[in-house]
Amino acid sequence: MKKKVVLMGASGSGKTSMRSLIFSNNPASLTARLGATIDVEQNHVRFLGDLILNLWDCGGQDTFMETYLAQQQSTIFQHVAVMIYVFEVESRNMSKDLAYYRGCLAALRKNSPEAAVFLLVHKIDLVRGDRAAVLERKTHELQQESADVEVTVFGTSIYDESLYKAWSRIVHTLIPNAAVLSKHLTVLAQACSATEVILFERTTFLVIATSTPPPASPTAITSPPTMSPSFSTPSSTHTSSNFTSTTYSRSIPHTSVQQDSDPHKLSPTRYERTSELIKAFKHACSRVREEFHSLEMELDDFTAVLDELTKNTYVLIVVHDPTIETAALRMNVRLARKKFEELQGDSLIS
Amino acid sequence: TNGRRTSSGDLARTKILLLGQRRTGKTSILDVLFNDCGPKDTLYIERTTRVTKHTYDTVIPLEIWDCPGDITLEALEALDTPLSHFATIIFVMDIQDLYQPPITKLVSFVIAAYDQSPQTNLEVFVHKADALSEEYRIDNYRFLQQHILDELIDISSEYEQIQMNFALTSIHDHSLHDAFSRTLHKSIESLPYLEDLLNIFCYNSQSSKAFLFDLKSRLYVATDASPVDPPTHNLCSDYLLMLNSFGPLYSSHPASAPRSPFLSSTRPSALAPTINTADNTRQAPITKTLFYPSAGMTLTYQLITRKLALLAIIPSAVFEARRGLVEYNVVFFREGVQEICEVEDEARGGGG
Ligand SMILES: Nc1nc2c(ncn2[C@@H]2O[C@H](COP(=O)(O)OP(=O)(O)OP(=O)(O)O)[C@@H](O)[C@H]2O)c(=O)[nH]1
Ligand SMILES: Nc1nc2c(ncn2[C@@H]2O[C@H](COP(=O)(O)OP(=O)(O)O)[C@@H](O)[C@H]2O)c(=O)[nH]1
Ligand SMILES: [Mg+2]
Repeated sequence: MKKKVVLMGASGSGKTSMRSLIFSNNPASLTARLGATIDVEQNHVRFLGDLILNLWDCGGQDTFMETYLAQQQSTIFQHVAVMIYVFEVESRNMSKDLAYYRGCLAALRKNSPEAAVFLLVHKIDLVRGDRAAVLERKTHELQQESADVEVTVFGTSIYDESLYKAWSRIVHTLIPNAAVLSKHLTVLAQACSATEVILFERTTFLVIATSTPPPASPTAITSPPTMSPSFSTPSSTHTSSNFTSTTYSRSIPHTSVQQDSDPHKLSPTRYERTSELIKAFKHACSRVREEFHSLEMELDDFTAVLDELTKNTYVLIVVHDPTIETAALRMNVRLARKKFEELQGDSLIS
Repeated sequence: TNGRRTSSGDLARTKILLLGQRRTGKTSILDVLFNDCGPKDTLYIERTTRVTKHTYDTVIPLEIWDCPGDITLEALEALDTPLSHFATIIFVMDIQDLYQPPITKLVSFVIAAYDQSPQTNLEVFVHKADALSEEYRIDNYRFLQQHILDELIDISSEYEQIQMNFALTSIHDHSLHDAFSRTLHKSIESLPYLEDLLNIFCYNSQSSKAFLFDLKSRLYVATDASPVDPPTHNLCSDYLLMLNSFGPLYSSHPASAPRSPFLSSTRPSALAPTINTADNTRQAPITKTLFYPSAGMTLTYQLITRKLALLAIIPSAVFEARRGLVEYNVVFFREGVQEICEVEDEARGGGG
């Protein structure tokens, strides 16, 4: 199954940089060497075996933008599953950016009315001072520009975990069986007496699915499978999309419930931080010609195993019960392998 | 050696002095090593306007003095601590500054330090090495070394015998950690004992390389006798970096000690207003991790004291077959290190 993802935004806004970070395991420091993208750079990224992301990195210089909107409109905007539009947080020419954005949005509505739209307020690291406030203002501005189109806004930077959070959410919308995966991860978590089980895609280390919190929590059934309510932070909650605004209104009252019933109070940014950390460490390994295989940790108050689950995924099992040993966790991963290979094969073909 | 016990009964700290022109990177070096500052965040460091003392506790307690770039010999001598009280003086030079004045100034400090106390370790960090391509980097490095040594001899042939160490450093790679580790080793009197323990551990566990790392700074305080191969050192350092951040993410109580995953439960920060080396001797929780980089090898991590961890590379086959033996060797190693730390602590007048 192929899904077309177009990456749009002004020249220099950071599209190619984020693509190379997420999909090519390059460090942020190397992005300064990237040249401007000429016309469109197409990539096929195999994601979870049968899902192929067809990534269109569209060079953002004016001449290219004009042709995308005119002669090439149908080529670019047809059959799009997701459009990601990148805005520099401190753009030199926001009114021009917005004019192109409106053009692209209109073309997208016409050619791919079902496409999801994600807006990234990028290079957020450059903001000195109150980032949340800046992001809120930007989000508001972008929602106004989007009129009745549902959009999801994220603040991102290649220098921290925010990029992984945004991209995890984006690819999540493209995975057809995410809910099923989540259900099975919950089963695995119970088998391991785990606090949490998280599934990562192998090359990008984006979060694909997580187990739902233990049944003690009344929100477990209704909350969206991968994103526990505590996962939402201002950047994801301020959106005008129906989809996210419903999860927003649903998750708000639950947040307090969730935290009360969650004895561990884990860091709310742990998923994207884990992606970022492991990705950086994988890169460090490759620099010294080593490979990343698996990890076992028995730390002060938790035990964790990070291991390959299927050909395309890694699983992280986190256990706070001190009686559980890593060997048992590894055994459970081995036992779960076949089931997940099947699961992945099955539902992605359909 | 110098100033081991102070009259006030305080901990006698090993003093390190950082000197160098303005904006050569002295404060960045300290912040990156000891204050959890990312290399990129050093862009926003404000300029140092007066001598600032930083304390840091690892296997030995350190007091590192950061100076403003324009400090003079007179101003330095006017402070109540004579140069001879510093175990080490580190001169930080920007690799692109090939001008005469900084060199002349450095030389005059070197001579003053040497005249007062020939045992002082003199280190020159030719810093910001990342700013130049390989070829220019080596050229400038040689040029600076040659100039400094020539100038010393020009002043007096007696200065030919001054021992100085040069290192190329950068906060953007592992060179700074490696250079600072080597500098630190010269002030650790118990180093030979730590090295013996590491050698014994390696021999008994068939480990090809083992480091005793300071957790937070990621400096290694000792290693076994086999040569340090940079990729192995870098891998261990990056592994620690990852673990240091990973721990708090899934820890149930990250708030009490956000930066160090391994300390949080038993030592709430409120109860320990002043950190001292006694932490090295107190029992640390058993904490260990395993990482399998390439098929045939395992990187083990074992917490030794609250501040130190043993990182060792062991063939996976050996590790699988003799896990129990390795763990036993770790217990033996841990006891040895704790004993050394206790002795060190007592000699320093710290609360034992
Ligand atoms: N500070 C900061 N700089 C960034 C970030 N992301 C990218 N950059 C820098 O922005 C510059 C331009 O990035 P590119 O990825 O080439 O931009 P692009 O959107 O692909 O540009 P075109 O291909 O011309 O459309 C590079 O120098 C990157 O290093 C970020 O999050 N923060
Ligand atoms: N390229 C590069 N820049 C560095 C390095 N170390 C420090 N800097 C930069 O040098 C500048 C001055 O550093 P600072 O620590 O304030 O210098 P000080 O006056 O000697 O304390 C800062 O902008 C740092 O980001 C390095 O290793 N490489
Ligand atoms: Mg580009």
